[in-house]
Amino acid sequence: MKRINIYLAASIAVLVSAAGCKKNDSKPAPAYTVPTTYNFSNANFADATTRIGMLTEIQTVEKAATTGVVDGAKAKNMFTNTGSPFVTAAYNTSGIQLKDQGAALYQTDALRFIDSLVAVSQSGKVASRGVAGVGASSANAATKYALTANGMNYAQIFNKTSMGGLITYQIVNIMSAVSAGGLDNNTQVNGATALEHSWDIAFGYWGVPIDFPTNKTGAKLWGSYSTQVDSGFHANKILMDAFLKGRAAITAKDSKTFQAQATIILQTMERLTGAAALQEVKEVKESINDNIARNSRLSECYGFIYSLKYNPKKVITDAQIDNLLALFPKNFYDLTLDQLNAIRDAVAAQYNFQDVKDIL
Amino acid sequence: MKKTIIFCISIAAGLAVIQSCSKSGTPGKTGTGGTDFDRKGLLTNMSANIILPAYTSFQASASALNDAVVAFNTAPNTTTLAAAQTAFTAAYKQWQSTSEFDFGPASQANFRVNINTYPTDVNQIAANINSNTYNPDLLANLAAKGLPAIDYLLFGAGADNAAIVALYTTDAKAANRKTYLATLSAEVKTRATAILDSWNGSYKATFLAADGTDVGSSLGQLVNQLVYDYEIVKNYEIGIPAGTQSMGTPFPQKVQAYYSKISLQLTLLHLQAIENLYEGKSLQGDGLGLDDYLVKVNAKYSDGKPLNDVIKAQFAAAEAKLQALTDPLSANIQNNNTDVAAAYTELQKLTVLLKTDMTSSLGILITFGDNDGD
Repeated sequence: MKRINIYLAASIAVLVSAAGCKKNDSKPAPAYTVPTTYNFSNANFADATTRIGMLTEIQTVEKAATTGVVDGAKAKNMFTNTGSPFVTAAYNTSGIQLKDQGAALYQTDALRFIDSLVAVSQSGKVASRGVAGVGASSANAATKYALTANGMNYAQIFNKTSMGGLITYQIVNIMSAVSAGGLDNNTQVNGATALEHSWDIAFGYWGVPIDFPTNKTGAKLWGSYSTQVDSGFHANKILMDAFLKGRAAITAKDSKTFQAQATIILQTMERLTGAAALQEVKEVKESINDNIARNSRLSECYGFIYSLKYNPKKVITDAQIDNLLALFPKNFYDLTLDQLNAIRDAVAAQYNFQDVKDIL
Repeated sequence: MKKTIIFCISIAAGLAVIQSCSKSGTPGKTGTGGTDFDRKGLLTNMSANIILPAYTSFQASASALNDAVVAFNTAPNTTTLAAAQTAFTAAYKQWQSTSEFDFGPASQANFRVNINTYPTDVNQIAANINSNTYNPDLLANLAAKGLPAIDYLLFGAGADNAAIVALYTTDAKAANRKTYLATLSAEVKTRATAILDSWNGSYKATFLAADGTDVGSSLGQLVNQLVYDYEIVKNYEIGIPAGTQSMGTPFPQKVQAYYSKISLQLTLLHLQAIENLYEGKSLQGDGLGLDDYLVKVNAKYSDGKPLNDVIKAQFAAAEAKLQALTDPLSANIQNNNTDVAAAYTELQKLTVLLKTDMTSSLGILITFGDNDGD
């Protein structure tokens, strides 16, 4: 039943927006339809899917931090695809890697974050204020986190900054090039133009199935977060509509429409990061009396905000990002409710989420 | 059922159009789906007859607890200790019908976790007593304050009442311990008073005015907190101590009121309070509740039975399984965990009914996440 609703809602939305754009076209509108799923015949985003898979394998290596020592060398080899480090053999022979796709700052940060996590995993102690080590959630002793002496979970900081420094960075760069008209939409290479292929890669980085959001199975990273914040910020629909409409417009050479959709996606990715930070504030509140779990979730929030630095087209300034980060206590164990609310309010004000700041 | 489907589709379509065409939807009106249930009447009944009386009683019992603690600190002996213990038990019982309203002023103040974070952190309490410093604003102190910490200080700090009195008289840290106990009971009272004042002040009108079903509406918040509080009963009072989230390894010391050993009594009161809120029942009688709302929208369970009947039956089934247990619950978990697990199973069934069936029938979105452990 939910499926029917979503399908219906989606098709209505397509009709509405299609009707809306007709008016604006001055030259004869090329006749094309916008499909409801990303099933374009020449779409190929395998490289993006591979890189998300590589990232997932690094995360698996990092998970060892709660049970033993993290193999930092292996994680770093995965980052550069050196020495066949992946379990999935196809990744080893893919000829592509994560590092060279990331923002310059992220390329060095990511290695630093891995080192920090490795150091915590070597402590062999129980995490507490001032002591790096592994701690258990007070609600659920089976859920463990590796935290620094200051309560930071670098596995999560790595995850969230990778979403910003790698995935958002790629999507934003592609959309920025599209709206600047800098990609070839005439020459066919492997059955698709450079513009079509870049657009497909961006869609692939979002990490959702082609019939999203009707089907949410396997949604990863941003695909998961756009769903988690959907109650307050309807990023699922905004992004899916824009990706579908833009891709159909590209093939139909309707540049005005696809450039407009590129701008929507570019702007949405930054706002989605703000929404994800607020979602983590909410999760911090849901584990507010659980010192270990709370610190881990605060690390997720910190990671999202920090990751804004990597966005090449961000609206927020570096100084504003630093101001947001300065709202966090130096030691996460010292967090107060007032500080947490100050983080929430500042992010909500930055991204105009005041009305939904508690429900994202 | 067919009617329900069409009704839902029209809501979805309506929402889609509103989202794409205009920002000025009228929250509070959408989602009514053409039914004319008196939501304002429900909110009026709940605020006047259930919520405000609960806050009033809790404030009074917290105040009485604080008075008893002051009397105990003035002259620590087994008589004044027993009086403080009695006052504590009364306050903890009243809390069971107060914790469900963690929205509005309570949410702003993090009321629930400030009053009732357990298991209490005995090490943190000892550290705070030893250092004689305590910052109530540190979230890291949540597990060292509130009723569970007082539970420990009044019931569990020594082997028996004479030993506990000694901790407040002859012990090297007696003065620090008295100060800490007094600080905690005063904080509970201060917080209870602040929330009551907010409700008696402007918040009651705010609550009544937001009479829609959208995420920020009073009903939306109330239902979310009813379900959330219910999950506290299921998970924190029963499940986690019984080991349901730790692959069967029990943690009997994680029950609510571990030291005063009234865990089961409290759970039964808590479940009753949630049922009363669901039914709109109070000392004033059976007023408008969520049960009436479900009947009004003709909500059906998947087997075709009225959803309200199914929910009520499940409340009774869960209560029956809990009644089969005895206090101290921690001992039951150690000696008779099969029956505790059986109670948990019935509670789990009720979760689905409240969290999924009820909310979807009323068009209310659950906005709190599951602890996904990532």
